Amino acid sequence: MAVFRWGHSWSDAFSDLEREVDSILESVNLTFQGLRFGRQYPPINLYDLDDHYLITAEIAGVSTDDLDLAIANGVLTIRGGRKLDEGADETRYRRQERPHGMWQRSLSLPERVAEDGLNADLTNGILRIVLPKALAETPRQIPVTGG
Amino acid sequence: MNHNLSRSHADPQSADTDQQAGHDAGSASPVEQYVFTPPIDIHETDEGLILRADLPGVSLDTLELQVQNNRLTLFGRVPPVAPAEARLIHQEYHDGDFLRSFILSDNVDHDRITAKLTNGVLEVFLPHTPKSSPRKIQVSGS
Repeated sequence: MAVFRWGHSWSDAFSDLEREVDSILESVNLTFQGLRFGRQYPPINLYDLDDHYLITAEIAGVSTDDLDLAIANGVLTIRGGRKLDEGADETRYRRQERPHGMWQRSLSLPERVAEDGLNADLTNGILRIVLPKALAETPRQIPVTGG
Repeated sequence: MNHNLSRSHADPQSADTDQQAGHDAGSASPVEQYVFTPPIDIHETDEGLILRADLPGVSLDTLELQVQNNRLTLFGRVPPVAPAEARLIHQEYHDGDFLRSFILSDNVDHDRITAKLTNGVLEVFLPHTPKSSPRKIQVSGS
């Protein structure tokens, strides 16, 4: 099976990221003014470490209850959101710069990732997803018998 | 009455470029450290104003909040998210610290300002000063 994955490297993964489908489920009042990210929300960074990849995202104000991670068919979907400040009367805003609403991002994972080992942590508004690299398969010698 | 927090110190639009520490060529640290203006909400309640700022990556240990001369300043330091040996292969945002300050009006009761930090969001409560009751002034006459 590994034979067909020759040449599958992070350059492919990178283009997967570029091709990813982003959807804003509800973009009401999602303001970007003064913020340091562009169209896609949340912005993510991707790091390569020796035995794993690390995805980080800034999602201040999202609690673990409002965050959903799912992995299926090699696609990692991060879904979350936050409401406008609890109990606040919308007519009594002096300033409203923070984005709110629901969002979703889907990332295609490279094939050499051990999906079962994925773990995620949300601390101080930063989401960290660790994706262990799958161990390289060692070539298996196939004895050939002849007559 | 409507200008308790009359203006922010830094312009959110220009902060990303103006406050880059990377301009400091003599700096010993080769690491670029950005300083960002965090997005905020301010809304009114009957008791005062509530200010919320998004400060992802900032913890209680790395947050400084102070009031001096009617200026409220928040500075949040963000420690590196990834280990030093990590190789960045796709980047959509920069790590950086957060800085923003505000001018408080006279009717904010400085001594009763409280703040809390939850999931990277700072919430500051700026209570109104208690309304002073009218004081009778004795007028003496001849």
